Amino acid sequence: MKISVELFGAAREFSKTKYLEFNFSKSCKIIDIKKKLYEYVDNKFNGNLNYKEIIKSSVFCSDKDQLIKENQILNKNQIIGIIPPIGGG
Amino acid sequence: MLHAKIINSSIEKIEISRAEEFLRSEKFGAVIYFIGVVRDNNENKKVNGITYDAKETMVIKSFEEIYNETEQKLGIKNKSVFIEHVKGHLKLSEKSILIGVACKHRDEAYRLSRFIIEEIKKRSPIWKKEHYEDKDSEWLKGISLTT
Repeated sequence: MKISVELFGAAREFSKTKYLEFNFSKSCKIIDIKKKLYEYVDNKFNGNLNYKEIIKSSVFCSDKDQLIKENQILNKNQIIGIIPPIGGG
Repeated sequence: MLHAKIINSSIEKIEISRAEEFLRSEKFGAVIYFIGVVRDNNENKKVNGITYDAKETMVIKSFEEIYNETEQKLGIKNKSVFIEHVKGHLKLSEKSILIGVACKHRDEAYRLSRFIIEEIKKRSPIWKKEHYEDKDSEWLKGISLTT
């Protein structure tokens, strides 16, 4: 199963592409996606603590713009968005 | 009535005249415009521009939700609201957001305008990257959403 994470705000610094893609052997939860992101930052950015803090403080949304609860099970290929702390205006 | 739009700064600018046109009505005696602009400093750093990012569909949805809540939370039934927010790069003094509200009376209009900007700050997925005179840049720390 493939989860594509669309990057926004500070998380755009994670990649020059719009998305990061992660494979899971079966269903996953947000905590599993965060683990993959932490691993990605470890490998790609030498464990950059600022980037890890962004992951920690982010929530995620579905392709229908609904916030995904921490314990919600994702069991099909889909695109989700990472929503770092906001501050417009 | 609500107008809600994200403005791509590389294509167009926020124009007050569009809000004036939208809000014009003989029903309303009070019209207020809140305009956010890019200022030249933040936390003792000299700023020369800001790049705004937004999850556009979710931002529009949040604007609609905020608008729909105003009747119950503020008791303001008759109103027109115009909201535009920029996505992309802005230079100093350029407009990042325009909230125009039209109500029967000024008290309603002031309360409505303030409510909308404060809720946008708390709920709408928009981000700012400040650019500084020394060529450095930084995404501003914001408020975490909760699920």
